[in-house]
Amino acid sequence: MKIISQTFKTYKSAKIKPVWCPGCGDYGVLSALDKTFKTLEFKPEDIAIVSGIGCSGRFSHYFNSYSLHGTHGRALPTATGLKTVRPDLNVITIGGDGDGLSIGGGHIAHAARKNVDLTYIILDNNVYGMTKGQSSPTTPLDYKTKTAPYGVYEESLNPIAMFLAYNIGYIARTTSTDSKGMLSILTEAIQHKGFSMVYIMSPCVTYSVLPYAKLKEIVKPLPEEHDTSDKLSAFKYAYSDEHMYTGVFYKEEKTSLDERLKEVFNIAKISKTTSEIMAEFK
Amino acid sequence: MGKISKPKLKSKIDFIIRVAGEGGEGVMSCGELFAKAVARTSYHVFTFITYPTEMKGGYAMTQIRIRDITIYSMGSFVDCMVVFNQEAYDKSISSLKEGGILIYDPEFTKIDESGNFVKYPIPFSQISVDTIGRALGKNVVVLGILSHIYGLAHPGLEKLINDRYGSKGKKVVEGNIKALKAGADAAKTIGVTTIMDLSKSEPANEEYMFISGNQAVALGAIAAGCRFSAGYPLTPSTSIFETLSKFLPLVGGRTIQMEDEIAAISAVIGASFGGEKVITPTSGPGLQLMAEQMSLASMLELPIVIVDVQRGGPSTGLPTKTEQGDMKFAVYGSAGESPRIILAPTGVEDTFYQTIRAFNLAEKYQMPVILLTDQSIGYRKATVKMPDFNKIFMVDQFDRKTKVKIPNAEHIDLVQRQIPTEDELKNYKRYKNTKTGISPIARPGTPGGQYLATGLEHDEYGKTNQGPENHLMMSKKRFRKLEQVSLAFERNPMETYGDPHVQIGIMGWGSTEGAIREARYLAEAAGVKVRHIHPHTISPLPEQQISKFLHRLKHLILVEENLTGQFAHFIKAKFGVKPIEVHKCEGMPFTPDEIFNAIMKVARIADEDNITNI
Repeated sequence: MKIISQTFKTYKSAKIKPVWCPGCGDYGVLSALDKTFKTLEFKPEDIAIVSGIGCSGRFSHYFNSYSLHGTHGRALPTATGLKTVRPDLNVITIGGDGDGLSIGGGHIAHAARKNVDLTYIILDNNVYGMTKGQSSPTTPLDYKTKTAPYGVYEESLNPIAMFLAYNIGYIARTTSTDSKGMLSILTEAIQHKGFSMVYIMSPCVTYSVLPYAKLKEIVKPLPEEHDTSDKLSAFKYAYSDEHMYTGVFYKEEKTSLDERLKEVFNIAKISKTTSEIMAEFK
Repeated sequence: MGKISKPKLKSKIDFIIRVAGEGGEGVMSCGELFAKAVARTSYHVFTFITYPTEMKGGYAMTQIRIRDITIYSMGSFVDCMVVFNQEAYDKSISSLKEGGILIYDPEFTKIDESGNFVKYPIPFSQISVDTIGRALGKNVVVLGILSHIYGLAHPGLEKLINDRYGSKGKKVVEGNIKALKAGADAAKTIGVTTIMDLSKSEPANEEYMFISGNQAVALGAIAAGCRFSAGYPLTPSTSIFETLSKFLPLVGGRTIQMEDEIAAISAVIGASFGGEKVITPTSGPGLQLMAEQMSLASMLELPIVIVDVQRGGPSTGLPTKTEQGDMKFAVYGSAGESPRIILAPTGVEDTFYQTIRAFNLAEKYQMPVILLTDQSIGYRKATVKMPDFNKIFMVDQFDRKTKVKIPNAEHIDLVQRQIPTEDELKNYKRYKNTKTGISPIARPGTPGGQYLATGLEHDEYGKTNQGPENHLMMSKKRFRKLEQVSLAFERNPMETYGDPHVQIGIMGWGSTEGAIREARYLAEAAGVKVRHIHPHTISPLPEQQISKFLHRLKHLILVEENLTGQFAHFIKAKFGVKPIEVHKCEGMPFTPDEIFNAIMKVARIADEDNITNI
C-alpha cells in the first residue's frame, strides 16, 4: 500500500451526523476537538474515542476514529483498559455530567490515582438532556426539574474542587462558546502526560438550566496572576461564589501509569517464556 | 458411540490424610508442605482445603489424597487424621475410616475411647514449646509425625521449609527444622507405625506441575496468549488475579487492579477493543455486577474471558465454601438477548485446558466466555502433567476455515482473532452479516479500519440503526455465532463414559465429575453399571450428544451442588426428561460415597421396576 503523507481536512465522520438539538453547545466542542486533532496532526487510525451514555456520549459516533460507545458511566475504566494495553493510541474519553459525575463518578478518583495517560472531557449541561429534563449532579439547588418538580433538594457538585482533591495532574474549565479557549486547552490537555481533565460548560438549549446569557454573565477567565502549580490558589478560584472561572486551574507533571507499569517490568527484570513460568510450579 | 475411556481401576496405593484444626493454626501450611513433598515423588497428589471466612478461628482442614494412579476426587473416608483441637475432632471424626489412624493432642482433645481407631495421643503443642519455645510450631511437629508415618525424607522437607519460611529469616527456618525433627522423633519414640516409605519412591518420570485450580486458570491464560487482566479481589477467585499479577509482567503483559468489578470488566472490554486477549476473574457476587458489561461485550462482539469461581450464595453467603449456584445467572443473567458461552471445567488439569479453550472460543466467536469453576476446584491442588510446548500451534489471523481442536497436553491450537483483509478494509464493515455471523475485527491503528463499536443496535458498519429489519438481522447475526459454536461442539469428542447400553445414567456438570466417576467405579465393583455424561459446555449444550445419551435410558440421575437443581431445570426444559435429582447444598463438595449411595438406591428402584415388568 502506498503511504501518502496527508493532512486531514476533517476528522469528523462522513457517515454519521450529530443528532443534537440546534444550538446545542456540543456542536462547538465537536468542532474544537476536530481542530485540535488537526493541530496535533494525528492520524485518524491512532485516535480512540471512548464515551458513555447521554447527549455527549454520542461524541464517539461523529469521528472517523476507532470509537467505543459503551454503557452508562463506564467510559473511564473502559478507556483505562484500552490505554493500558495500547499506550501508542491517543485515547480521549467524553461524557456528560450525568455519565461522569453521577453513575460514573466513582471512577474518576481511581483514574486519577492511576494517572492513566488520557484526556477526559466532561461536557456539563447541568441536566439530563437525552432522557428529557431530569436533575443531574450539577443542577442547582431549588431548580425545578421533572424529577424534582418542587425544586432540587440536593446541593450541586463542585467538580473542579473535586478534581483538585483527587490530585489530577491537569485540570481546566472552559465553555463551548469559547472556541479559542477550547482549542488551546484541548491541545495542551491531550499533550499532557498522565490523566487530564477538561471540563466544558456546554449549555442545553431545550432544558435550559444555565442559559447562554447567564453563562456569559458568570464566566470569568482565571486572573493572570493565578499560578497553575499552586493548588490552594486553584481551590480558591474553584470555590468562588461570584464567578465561574475558566482556564487552566492546575498543572503538574507526574509519572504516568504506562511509565509505572514499565517500571514494574524493570523491577521484575527477567522476561520469561511460558514454559519457564510453568516450570516454577514443578 | 465414540471412545469409551478404560481407566486403570486397580490401585495399590490410595491414602487419604486429613489435618484439621482452627484457622490460623498452620493447618494449611502443614498440609501444603506435606502435599508438595509427596508431589515430587511418582505418586499423584490431590488436596482439598476448606477454611472459615474469618482471619483467625473456626474449623479449617486440609485433606490430601495420595495415589499411584490419577485421582479424580478428594475421596470419601480418611485413613489418617490429625486433629488439633476438640472442634476439629468433633467435626472430622465421622469421616475417619474404621481402623484408621487418629493422631491428637491429649492436652486439647478428649476422644471417644471406644472408637475403632489406631489412637496416638501425642502432645504436639508441648513438643513445640519444648523445642522452639512457642506452640506456634506445632503444625511443623505434625509434619514431622506424618513424615515418620509415610516415610518422607527430611532433606526434601527441609528444603520446602526453607522455601516457605526463608523470607522470615534464618532463625525461623532453623526453628521449624528443629520442630520437624522433634515431631518425627516423638512418633518414633511412641512407636507410631510407618505405613509406607515414600522416600523409596522413584522420582516422577514425567514432568508435573503441582497447582491449584485457580493457578491453572492463570497459567492457562498465559499459555493461551492472554496479556491483560483487570481484576478486583473477591474470594475465592483472588489467587487467579494474584498469580496473573505476578507472572503476566514477565511475559510482557499487564495487570491492573480496578476499583470494583464493573470497572474491571470495563477495562478488559477496553483492552479487548485494543486487540489484546483479556481475562477478568471473579466470583458470583462480582459476576452479578458485571452483567451489564457482559451484554455490552456481546453487543460489541468483543472477545472477553470471565472466570466465576463459584462460592456459596446468595449475597455474601459462604465466601470460602463451594456451590454450583451461579449456573442460571451465567446462562440467563442478561437484559435483552446476548449470546455468550459457558464452560464448566471438571478438575485442576481440565481447568488449565478449558481456560485455553475459553480464549479460543472467545477470540473466534467474538463474545464473552464464562468459565464456571468453583471453590472446590479453585482451592484444590493436584499434579498436572506439563504440556508439551513444542505442540502449540497458532491459527493464522486470516484463517477462517481451520477447525480448532479442544486443547490437551498433546496438542494446543491458539486462535487469534480474525482481522480484515486489505480488500475488506476498502469498504470496511465491522459487523458484516456473514454466513457464520463472524466478522473480522480491525485492530486500532490499522488505517482504514476505523469503526464505531456501540452498545446501541447498529448496522453492518457500526452505525446506529434501530429499524425493525435491522434489529432482527443483527440479532440473528449475533446468535448465528452461537449456533456455529454448538455445531462445533457436536463435532467435538464425546463426553460420555461407561457402558452405553445400561439403563441407569448419571449426569453432572463441573467439579462433580471426579466424585461421579469414582462413584461409577464403586458401583461397577458392586455389580451396578451406569453410564455417565458430563458436558463441559453448559451453554450452548451439546444437544445431539445428550439426546443420544438419553435414548433408551430408564433412569437418569442428575447430580449438582445446589438446593434447587439449576442444571436439572435446564435439562428438563430442553429434553423433557424427569431425572432423579441429587442435590447437595452444604458448602462442601460431594464425596464419591454419597453419589455411590444414590446410584445404589436407584439401582434398587430399577430392580423393582424389572420385577413389576415381569
